[in-house]
Amino acid sequence: MKKKTKAFRFSTLAMSIALGVMFLLPSLSFAAIDTIAVDVGISVFKTMPIGIVPFTEPKENIEWIEEKPHQILTRDANLSGRFEVVASDKFNLALFSRKHVKHYVTGKVTKQDGNKLRVDCYLYIAQTKDMLVGETYVVPQQELRRAMHKFFDLVIKRLWGERGVASTKLAYVSKMDGIKQVVVSDYDGYHRSQITRDTSISMMPVWMKENKGLVYVNFKTHRPRLYFKKFGGVEQPLFPNLDQTYSPAVNPVTGELLFSSTVDGKTDLYIGNMNSGKARKFAYLKSNQTSPAWSPYATEVLFTSDRGGGPQIFVMGKDGSDMRRVTFMGRYNERASWSPEGDRIAYTSMDNGKMNIYTCALDGSDIVQLTNNAGNNEHPTWSPDGKLIAFASNRSGSYQIYIMRKDGSNVTRITNSGENTSPTWSFFYDDLD
Amino acid sequence: MNKLLKFALVASVVGFALTACATPEPPKTEPEAAPAPEATAVQPETAPIAEQPVLNADSLAAVKAKEEAERLEAERARLEALINQIMSEDVYFDFDRSELTEKAKELLAQVAELLIKETRFSITIEGHTDARGTEDYNFTLGAKRAMKVKEFLAAYGIDAKRMESVSYGKEAPKAAGESEEAYSQNRRANFRVNIRD
Repeated sequence: MKKKTKAFRFSTLAMSIALGVMFLLPSLSFAAIDTIAVDVGISVFKTMPIGIVPFTEPKENIEWIEEKPHQILTRDANLSGRFEVVASDKFNLALFSRKHVKHYVTGKVTKQDGNKLRVDCYLYIAQTKDMLVGETYVVPQQELRRAMHKFFDLVIKRLWGERGVASTKLAYVSKMDGIKQVVVSDYDGYHRSQITRDTSISMMPVWMKENKGLVYVNFKTHRPRLYFKKFGGVEQPLFPNLDQTYSPAVNPVTGELLFSSTVDGKTDLYIGNMNSGKARKFAYLKSNQTSPAWSPYATEVLFTSDRGGGPQIFVMGKDGSDMRRVTFMGRYNERASWSPEGDRIAYTSMDNGKMNIYTCALDGSDIVQLTNNAGNNEHPTWSPDGKLIAFASNRSGSYQIYIMRKDGSNVTRITNSGENTSPTWSFFYDDLD
Repeated sequence: MNKLLKFALVASVVGFALTACATPEPPKTEPEAAPAPEATAVQPETAPIAEQPVLNADSLAAVKAKEEAERLEAERARLEALINQIMSEDVYFDFDRSELTEKAKELLAQVAELLIKETRFSITIEGHTDARGTEDYNFTLGAKRAMKVKEFLAAYGIDAKRMESVSYGKEAPKAAGESEEAYSQNRRANFRVNIRD
């Protein structure tokens, strides 16, 4: 009996020590990260070397209007964060062996009738020249890039056993003639198309389930209000009985919409069905709540609350119960988004008026600062494979969209002109295989 | 009639300019106070003249109705300009705060007096934030600011039914740039004046 109490006391002591260490840890790892120049890219990623060899072309020269197949594949490989590209003019086993390249891609381009190209694409094993993937696309040159994206996702599937994101898209906000409009482009910034054409601001685009369209905010009624538009369809207002609706988040399982609505200065979360137009309050809390985000399987919800004065990130169950605070470091932590792998969240934190992107574990521990000393960096959104984060930054002087690995390395700008903000990554596209 | 109205408007503008002078920081308010309202006061006189050729009883009534509508619209614009004028001279929210400063309360009291006199008008209070922070959180912050203004005016005796509040977050800045000066100008509440039915 005595022994038992002693053991109990000991364990409480151990627990309090453990708690103390846990409490200290965030600041320790923060300080450590702070000294690392993020742009240099110290990567915890395991990358795979891959050889990329230019495709053979017919004798009668092709007039290339944009990049050639191997150039598009090189950009896909670099953006994917999964590969280390070893470029070679032709198959070179000595080079490939020295660089530990086990696989390489190449192919053949021929002219077809009707101004089309036939592109044969291959993934080979370097040592044996066995073909692992062979795919043929017959496309007009303007569609070459998308064909290469498809092939590259097949390469990822074969070599990683996972789905790649080369055929996914981004929705974001672009200023046109001084007015914010919603646009969509391929994940690499190409094939941009304008979704809203309004005289009032459109913003905060998110993807509907199965990438059928977008939900976004527009100000045409002089108040922020949610609308949705299926691709090729017309815009429709959402939940007109609720005042000032914004911060949309689509439930990845049911397609329901979680969002903020402000009534008489008080902001609450609501959940609604986009087809029936019915909505109800999600949680009854004294604080203001905004920026909801679903867990990958929609079992829990991240959101921001101002109950501590400034914005901090909290999590709760999908029924609005079991609320826990996630962020404790700093006074301004906002707009969390849950990684598709489920293990971490990305969010924007403001310190001294500068915004930067961080990730942390679900209990708020293991904080990693991903951006540093490069203007404002905000609005992180995960790629559906969980390897990458897209975000907006004004490091170049104007706001543009960037993609980086989830550890902050390999930052690549994908938009070049105007002002582009608020990216959200699409779900996977299912027309791949 | 028009002349009388014009006189009344000018009188009230002058009257207002005087009260504006009485506020602690006259040099800033004075130069801008006069021109804008006067321009609107002239409008109702010029418009009906163009309509004059047709002169039967029906069209006379129509002209009168139009005149009345234009007069009301001009007055609405005048009141809106006046109210925004009162509010434009001062920063009245601190960063990430929604409490009203003493200065803001003084100015809002002037707005309240105007609204007590002009009972046909209702207002929309727009809450704004500076460019720092996320779009989402700034909507809630702007909403809190607009609400604080609404609560103050309600406490002063303005019927809540005459007031609507809306947040523009950081989407409608008054001043461009990333200086504290620009930021402080953008942490504000604006007013839109509407004619009640």
